[in-house]
Amino acid sequence: MQGFALYPFDPPGDIAALRAELRAWLAVNQPQGDIVARANCWASFDADFSRALGAAGYVGMTLPTRYGGGDRHPLERYVVIEELLAAGAPVGAHWIADRQTGPLILRYGSEEQRQRYLPGIAKGELFACIGLSEPGAGSDLAAVRTTARETAEGWRINGQKIWTTGAHFSHIMLALVRTEDGSERNAGLSQLLIDLDTPGITIRPIIDMAGHHDFNEVFFDDVLVPHGALVGTRGQGWQQVTAELGLERSGPERYLSSHALLAALIDAAGADPDPAVAALIGELTAELWTLRQLSMSTAAKLAAGEDPMVEASVVKELGNAFEQDMPRRVQAIVTSGWDDADDLARLLRALLIASPSFSLRGGTREVIRGIIARGLGLR
Amino acid sequence: MSAAREMLCDTARAVFAEAATVGMAPIDNAGFGLLLVPEEQGGFGGDWGDVNAVLQISGVLVPGLPVAALIANASLQPAAAVSLMAGAMGHSLALSIEHVNTRQQFGRPLGKFQAVQQSLAVMACEVRAVEAAAAVLAARLDAVGLDPLAADFEIAAAKLRANRAVGVVTSVAHQVHGAIGFTREYDLSRVTIPLMRWRGEHGNDAYWAQILGRQVAGFGGRGLWEALTAR
Ligand SMILES: Cc1cc2nc3c(=O)[nH]c(=O)nc-3n(C[C@H](O)[C@H](O)[C@H](O)COP(=O)(O)OP(=O)(O)OC[C@H]3O[C@@H](n4cnc5c(N)ncnc54)[C@H](O)[C@@H]3O)c2cc1C
Repeated sequence: MQGFALYPFDPPGDIAALRAELRAWLAVNQPQGDIVARANCWASFDADFSRALGAAGYVGMTLPTRYGGGDRHPLERYVVIEELLAAGAPVGAHWIADRQTGPLILRYGSEEQRQRYLPGIAKGELFACIGLSEPGAGSDLAAVRTTARETAEGWRINGQKIWTTGAHFSHIMLALVRTEDGSERNAGLSQLLIDLDTPGITIRPIIDMAGHHDFNEVFFDDVLVPHGALVGTRGQGWQQVTAELGLERSGPERYLSSHALLAALIDAAGADPDPAVAALIGELTAELWTLRQLSMSTAAKLAAGEDPMVEASVVKELGNAFEQDMPRRVQAIVTSGWDDADDLARLLRALLIASPSFSLRGGTREVIRGIIARGLGLR
Repeated sequence: MSAAREMLCDTARAVFAEAATVGMAPIDNAGFGLLLVPEEQGGFGGDWGDVNAVLQISGVLVPGLPVAALIANASLQPAAAVSLMAGAMGHSLALSIEHVNTRQQFGRPLGKFQAVQQSLAVMACEVRAVEAAAAVLAARLDAVGLDPLAADFEIAAAKLRANRAVGVVTSVAHQVHGAIGFTREYDLSRVTIPLMRWRGEHGNDAYWAQILGRQVAGFGGRGLWEALTAR
C-alpha cells in the first residue's frame, strides 16, 4: 500500500446551494417523530419518507435521466447522503436500492432490467435487499450453496439466505447463487435479480437484540424466475459482488451511525461544558473530521474510476470503531440513567444496543483488516 | 504530486541524509529556511503542501534537528508537528512491514500469521488517518494564506488526531519487531522516540481536546455539522 494521497473532493455545480436546498427540504419534510429513529438512521425504514425524497430528486441521483435518474455526479450524491445521515433522516427503506442495487443494475444489468427496475428505484418506491449471507456462508461468502439451475422455463432456485435486511418490505433481491453444477468456492456463482413476490419464496422475520424486525431468513423452494433474471455474466457473480462491496464500504454511513448522539452530547453540554465533557467532544470531533476527509477522498477516488479497495476498508475499519466506541465513551462520562427519558439517555441506550452490529454488517472487522493486510503486501 | 514538489522532495532527501551526520549546515545552505518566503522576496514561494512533504521527510531522516522551526514561525509549529509525525508514522509502518516479511518464526515469515496481519492493519489505519489529517490541514492552511487563526479548527483536530495515533503506532511497531526493535542499533527507535516526544510538544492531547471541545460546544450539536461542511 502506497502512502496516502489525498484526492480532491471537487463535485461540479454549486455544492453550498445543494446543501442549503436539502437542509431546507428536510426542515419541512423530515418526520419529527421519535428522536431514537435518528440513531443509526440508515436502518430506520419509512416508505413515505423515501417516496417524498425520491419525488424531490434525492434518490437515484446518479442514474441517467432516461431511467428516471438525476444524471448527477457521484460526489453530488455523496453530499446529499452525508447531509441525510447527519440529519438522522429515516433513509433505510430505499438505502440499499439507491446505494448499490441501482448502480449495479446500471452497470451489469440488461436493457430490460434497467427499464423495469431503475425508474422505481429513482422514485424512492422500489426497495431492494442483498442476498449474500447464508447459514453456512457468513465471512466465508464463497461457501454459498443456494443453487439456480437453468431449465427451459427459466432458473429454478433452491436454498436459503439469512440476515437479509429489509427483505420483508423489499420488492427485489439481488442474490448470489451457484449456477454451475459441482462448482466450488468462488467459481460458478452468478447474480440473479429476484422479484420477491414470486411463488415459492418464504420470508421469516428474525428479531434483533434491539427488539427490531430489520433482518430476515429467506427460503427458496423450487422458485422459478425468468432467464432474464440473470444479472451480468453467468459465472461472474463473485467478481460482480466484489465490485458491489466496494460501493458499500467507504460511504459516510460507515462513520455517521452514532452522529445523533454526538449532537445530543454537545447540546446537553451547553456553551460552557464541564472539562471532561469538553475533552470528549474534542476527541470525537478530531476523529469525525479525519474520517470525513478520508471518506470524501475515497469517494473522489471511486468517482475518478479507480478501485480504492484498501482505502475503502480503512474508512470502514476506522469509521466502525468510531461509531461503535462513541456510545461507550459517552456513557463513561455522562450521568444519564439507563431508563431516563431525555434525548441523550434514549439515544445512548439505543446506540449502545445497536453498536455491536456496526463491525459485523458489510464485512466483519476481521475480514476488513484482512483486506487491509493484503493491501500491505502481507497476504 | 507535482513535478516541482517531487524535485523538492528529492533534494530534501539528499540534504537531510547528509545533515543526519553533520547537523544543520547543509539544510541552512540549501535554503530550506526560504521555503515559505515569496519568490519576489528572494524565497522559493512554496506553500504548506510543500512544507508538509518536506517535514514528513525530515521527521524520518533528521527528527532531532530544528527543521520545522527553520521553515515556519511559532504559531505554525503545531501544524508542523503533524507533518513530522505523519512522516515518522509512515516510516514506522514501512519498517514493520519489511520486518515481518523477512523475519521467520515457526517456519514462515511473521507476516503470514493472522494475528500479526491484523495488528498491522490496525496500525496502517492510524497512519493513513494522520497522513490524511496532515494533507487536509495543509490544504486548509494554503486556502487561508497560512493564517493559523483561520485554520484553528483544523490545527486542533489534526494535532489531536496525530497525538492519539502515537500509542497504537509505536506499540504495534515495537510489538511486531520483538527484541531487535528495542536495540539502539536498529532504526525503529529513531522514529518511535521522536513520536513519543512530539505527542507532548506543541499541545498534548488534553490541551487540544479542551480547545477543540470548547470551540465545538460553542457551535452546538447541529452547528458542528454546519461548521464541518462549511470549511
Ligand atoms: C445488522 C446486520 C445486517 C445484515 N444485513 C445483511 C444483508 O442485508 N444481507 C446479507 O447478505 N447479509 C447481511 N448481514 C450479514 C453479515 O454480512 C454477516 O453477519 C457477516 O458477513 C459475518 O458473517 P457471520 O455473521 O456468519 O459471522 P461468521 O462468519 O461466523 O464470523 C463470526 C466471527 O468470526 C470471525 N471470523 C470468521 N472467519 C474468520 C477468519 N477466517 N479469520 C478470523 N476471524 C474470522 C468474524 O470476523 C466474526 O468476528 C447482516 C448482518 C448484520 C449484523
